Amino acid sequence: MPPERSGIADYSALLLPALRELVDVEVARKGRPPRADVGLYHVGNNPESHAWIVEQLRREPGVVVLHDFVLHHLVAGMTLGRKDGPGYLAAMERDSGVAGRLLGLGVIDGCIPPLWEVRPEDFPLCGEVLDLATGLIVHSRFVAERVRERGYGGSVWHVPHPAWPAPDIAAERLDGGPVIGAFGNLNPSKRVPQLLDAFERFHDSHPDARLLLVGAAAPGFDLAWRIGHEGLQEAVVQVDYVDEERLWALMAGVDVVASLRAPTMGETSGTAIRALTLGKPLVVSDVGWFSELPDDVARKVKPDEREVDALVDALEASTAAAAEMGAAGRALAERHDLRRVADLYVAALEETVGGEAVRDEVLREVSEVAAEVGIAPASAEAAALGRAMDEIEL
Amino acid sequence: MRILVCSPQVPFARGGAEILAERLTHELNEQGHEADLVTMPFKWYPGAKVLTHALMWRMADLTEVDGRRVDLVIGTKFPSYAVKHPNKVVWLVHQFRQAYELDRTELGQFSESDEDRALRRAVQRLDRVALGEARKLGAISQNVADRVKRNLGLDAEVILPPPQQLAFRCDSYDDFVLSVNRLDRAKRIDLLLEAAAADGSMRLVIAGDGPDRERLEEVARRNGLDGRAVFAGRVSEGELADLYATCRGVYYAPVDEDYGMVPYEAFMARKPVVTTRDAGGPLDIVHDRETGLVIEPRAEELARACRFLLDHEEEARAWGNAGRAIAEQVTWERVIAQLLS
Repeated sequence: MPPERSGIADYSALLLPALRELVDVEVARKGRPPRADVGLYHVGNNPESHAWIVEQLRREPGVVVLHDFVLHHLVAGMTLGRKDGPGYLAAMERDSGVAGRLLGLGVIDGCIPPLWEVRPEDFPLCGEVLDLATGLIVHSRFVAERVRERGYGGSVWHVPHPAWPAPDIAAERLDGGPVIGAFGNLNPSKRVPQLLDAFERFHDSHPDARLLLVGAAAPGFDLAWRIGHEGLQEAVVQVDYVDEERLWALMAGVDVVASLRAPTMGETSGTAIRALTLGKPLVVSDVGWFSELPDDVARKVKPDEREVDALVDALEASTAAAAEMGAAGRALAERHDLRRVADLYVAALEETVGGEAVRDEVLREVSEVAAEVGIAPASAEAAALGRAMDEIEL
Repeated sequence: MRILVCSPQVPFARGGAEILAERLTHELNEQGHEADLVTMPFKWYPGAKVLTHALMWRMADLTEVDGRRVDLVIGTKFPSYAVKHPNKVVWLVHQFRQAYELDRTELGQFSESDEDRALRRAVQRLDRVALGEARKLGAISQNVADRVKRNLGLDAEVILPPPQQLAFRCDSYDDFVLSVNRLDRAKRIDLLLEAAAADGSMRLVIAGDGPDRERLEEVARRNGLDGRAVFAGRVSEGELADLYATCRGVYYAPVDEDYGMVPYEAFMARKPVVTTRDAGGPLDIVHDRETGLVIEPRAEELARACRFLLDHEEEARAWGNAGRAIAEQVTWERVIAQLLS
C-alpha cells in the first residue's frame, strides 16, 4: 500500500475501498497477519515489497494475485539477498531441473551474469508461489496460459486491472506538439533507448514534437547522455518521480502515451490503464498483457530488429488517429470498472471458500444419476459428462 | 434453415417467456424455416440443482437430429442457453436473476452460507461461458441488455419481441384504468389499489390471476373499493382485446421488469400507459407525456397520473396513438432478421 512507490501499491489503494463495500477486509501488515476466512496475497517481483507476503503465504496458503508471472527477482532477493545460496539453487532446480541448478551455481560463482537481470523470463521461478496458491487471480490471458503450462491445476480467475475514475484536474502541457509521454521507471527494459531513437526520427518530421519522460532513471542508465547524443535536449523533457496528482496532470497534457517494455514479466501497466481512462492513444510493446489490448486503442510494436522503424510508424499513426483511439480507450476503461473488478474479486474469494462443497454436490448428484442409468465411471459416457461439466466450469 | 428454439419449462407454469418461445418457433416456420421448440423441465432448488439442470442442457446434443443437421439453435431463458452448438444464438429473456440483482432481496434464493455464496458465483461463471460463446447475443429489452453488460461485461443487441396477436382495436376511452398482470407482489397492484383509494372515484379493472389475488382483494375491500375495483380474473383473448379497446389507459409498473408485453398491447389498442421510473423494460417505450406517464412509485403520484388521463381524453388519445406508431415497428419479421443476421 502507499506510501510505498509501486504500481501494485497504487493498485491496492485503488481496489481496497471498492472491495470493502462488498466484504469485510483486514489489511495485513508486515509481522501482523490478521485472522480471516481467506487470505488474499498480492505478489509481485520486488523482494523489498513482497518477500514478507510470500513468507506469510508459506504459513497460510490462500488466493494469490499474481501481478508478475516472472518472480525471479523476488526469489533471488529472498535467497541470495539473504546469503541463502542453497535456497536459490533449489528454486532454480525446481524451475529448470539440473540445468537450472548448474546455471544457478554459475551465477553464485560469478561465472555468468545474474539471470534476474539478463534472462529472467526464461527462469520465472514462480513454482513455490503457485504451489502455495489455493487459487490465482491474474490480469491477462498471457499469465493464465503460462501458469497452466507450468501445471497449475487450481482455479484461475482472469480479472481485469481496475481503471481509475477520471480525475478532475487541469492538464499540464508542454509547449509544442505532438507531445509523446512515457511514464514510469526509465530503463532499457522500458525500451527508452529505442523510444529515443524513434522519437529522434519522428522529431525530424514534426519539429515541434516533444517527448516527456516522467520517472526516475535507473542507476547506471545514462539518460542525459543519450538525450544529448541524439541531439534532443530541446525536445525531450525529463521529470523525476511525481505524485499521483501531478502524474495525472502531466498525462492529461500529452497526445500519445508510450508504454513499452520487453521482456515482459507478465505484468499489466497502471500507466496504460490511466491512459485509457484519459482517452489517450497508446503505443505499446507487442508482448504479454499489452498484446491483449484491442487494436483500436493501442498501436503495438514488436521488440525485434524492426522495433525503431515500427515505433516511428506507430507514433505517426497514433497521433493521426488520436481522437478515435482515445474514444475507444475510454470505452475500454469503462469495462475495467472498479466496482465490477471488485465484484470479480469477491467471486474468486467466495468460490475459494465455498466452491469445493458446490463441486462435491454437483458431482454427487451427477454420479448418482449416471450410476442409476448404468454409466460406468470409466466409460466414454462418463467422460462426455466430465467434458460438459468442464465446459460450463462446473 | 433447420432451427431449434430452446426454452426451459416449469411444469404447470406458463408465462411470457414460454409464450415468446412458442411464438418465435411459429414465426420461424411461417417465414419458411423448419423450426421446432425444445424444452426441458427446470428446477432451481435445492442446493446445486440449478447447476445440474443447466448441465442437462449442455449434455443435449442438438447439432443434428435423426441424421439431419441442425443449422442453428436459439437459447432464450436460463438455463436453456447452456446448450452447446457451433451456431448458437441467444435471445436472452432473462438470466437466473436470483444470482444477480435479486440476490439478498426478499426475492433472492441464496443464503449467506459459504456454499450458497459459491453456488451463486458458479451460476455467474456458467453464464459467462454459455452467453460468451454465443455467436450472437440478443436481449429482449434494454433493461436485460444493461443487466448482462453490468453483470458479465457482455454486449447484447436489443431485439424487442412483438406483442401477442390479439384483435387489437380502439373502440372508446371509457372511464376506467386497466391492469393486465399476473397477480403477484412484484407486479405492484397494491400501488394501483392505494391510488384508487386516494382518488375517491377512480374505477379499475384488474385482469389476471395469481397467488396474490386473495390478498389484493382484501386490500381492495379494506380500502372501500367494492364496485370500483373489478377483479376480472383470467380472461379470454377476446375479453382482453375488449378491455384494451375500451379502457382509458393501462397501468403497468412491475419492479425492474425484464421486458413487459403489456405496454405494447396497450399501444396496439391506442391506449396510453402509466408506469414508474423503476419499472425497467417498459421504459424502453413508455415515455413521459409522449406515450403515457412515468411517475415515482408512490400511490399519490399514481392517483394524480390516472386522474389526469381520466380527465383528459384528448391527451390519452394522442399518447395512445403515438404509442401505436412505436409498437407497429416491432414485428416478427424484424426480430427474425436480427436473430439470423
